Amino acid sequence: MRLPKFEYFEPNDINEAVSILRNEPAARILAGGTDLLVNMKHRVECPPVIVNIKRIADLDYIRQDKGDIRIGALTPLNRICMTSVIKNSLPGLAQAASSVGSYHHQVMGTIGGNICQQNRCKYFNQSLRWRSSRPTCFKAGGEMCYVVNKKEICYSTYCGDLAPALLVANAKVKLAGAGQVAEVPIHQLFTGNGKAPLNLDDADMLTEIVIPGNSAQGVLSYIKFANRESIDFPIVGAAFWASTEKNEYRVAFTAVDRKPLRGHHIETLLQGKKLKAEIINEAGELATKAAKPVKTSIYSASYKRKLMGLLFRCSAENALRGLNS
Amino acid sequence: MKRAIELKINGDTYELLVAPNNTLLEVLREKLGLIGTKRGCDLGACGACTVLIDGEAYLSCLMLAVDATGKEIITIEGLAAGGDLHPLQRAFVEKGGLQCGFCTPGMILTAEAILNEDAHPTEAVVKKKMAGNLCRCTGYKKILEAVMSVSEPGESS
Repeated sequence: MRLPKFEYFEPNDINEAVSILRNEPAARILAGGTDLLVNMKHRVECPPVIVNIKRIADLDYIRQDKGDIRIGALTPLNRICMTSVIKNSLPGLAQAASSVGSYHHQVMGTIGGNICQQNRCKYFNQSLRWRSSRPTCFKAGGEMCYVVNKKEICYSTYCGDLAPALLVANAKVKLAGAGQVAEVPIHQLFTGNGKAPLNLDDADMLTEIVIPGNSAQGVLSYIKFANRESIDFPIVGAAFWASTEKNEYRVAFTAVDRKPLRGHHIETLLQGKKLKAEIINEAGELATKAAKPVKTSIYSASYKRKLMGLLFRCSAENALRGLNS
Repeated sequence: MKRAIELKINGDTYELLVAPNNTLLEVLREKLGLIGTKRGCDLGACGACTVLIDGEAYLSCLMLAVDATGKEIITIEGLAAGGDLHPLQRAFVEKGGLQCGFCTPGMILTAEAILNEDAHPTEAVVKKKMAGNLCRCTGYKKILEAVMSVSEPGESS
């Protein structure tokens, strides 16, 4: 399967990359390539310009800075799994990184690319030949969303593994854009619009992920269910963060909506209470209602809701074990 | 527009004229005749196209050839030194870790990358890391036995 033709740039620094992106609004950034190049082979994305940012120095690091943990956008996922500061302080982030695709995807894929991956849908992530049996779906450039049979709307699902773990860690992302550098909470990065899931301007480029020091003092856990355990996107993924100091908790899910979702109702129920089996079960009931998934994969919406409850309980129990150990 | 690039493959340097949309797999197979690297799914889901880049396992179907400049690329053709089989190749033969052989180059190179990271990984680690390499005929038991036999203490990889 050949890639479509494109113009290719290899900037040497962030300013050069931003300048190219500003001049080429339809350009796409290439990092690991494990998401973008597959979509290009399927002809669901055919950007006229590719900006390969891998030649930019110093975007591949994991640093501790005044208690915070800073991760460069080009840091490969397998380094996140293997680095002791992540394994010890944010085990859920290491679990999320080690659950992405196969070993090869973890070697090639980057944290920035994983966060900024395209939404997925059974009508979108298909070959041109498969999709040619019906008019193109809205996300791929047509009119109709076949998931809900409505026009001008897209119900594709965000399936990143790292985003929920970073959401519950209250992470921020650093964006280099036209003339400025901004640090924004990671939840602001996601639009909830399936057609354009990322809240990035044409010239914006994610350069760093910042995890506050107090998040590293809690216990973070991530668990996912996938069709094939070995190499697959999540059918549902759940992340849970707990801190014993104030009995504070955060919950997030992936693959259940057009963006990664925080479970605010569950957090409200748990806040200030000691984490025990009974309260975990009660919150698990709420977790089944934390989102309204639609059938964008082979699994039904009701099955996904049940999984949300189950995975929440598993991730909370993992965190409980972490708190007691 | 085509670009002139230099690729270092199996210790040799090649000067090539490639289009930006050529993948490393296409260049290896079609321009250089290194057909030991297999085209399976061509979408990064089967591991048949695995090559070593700076000692790590990469999917050559999802890597642009222009992106591979300046890196040390090893394909299955470059693994055996001086006509002697690499210990992993020998182990695959001795343990019967192949049948049709289509997945074998990817399997062996992935195993080599795993052993580059850790010379003595546990069976669970090898299983997890080789899960992205699909075999449709032999099954995985003998492949795992072959890799583990090389990773045992005292064996060189």
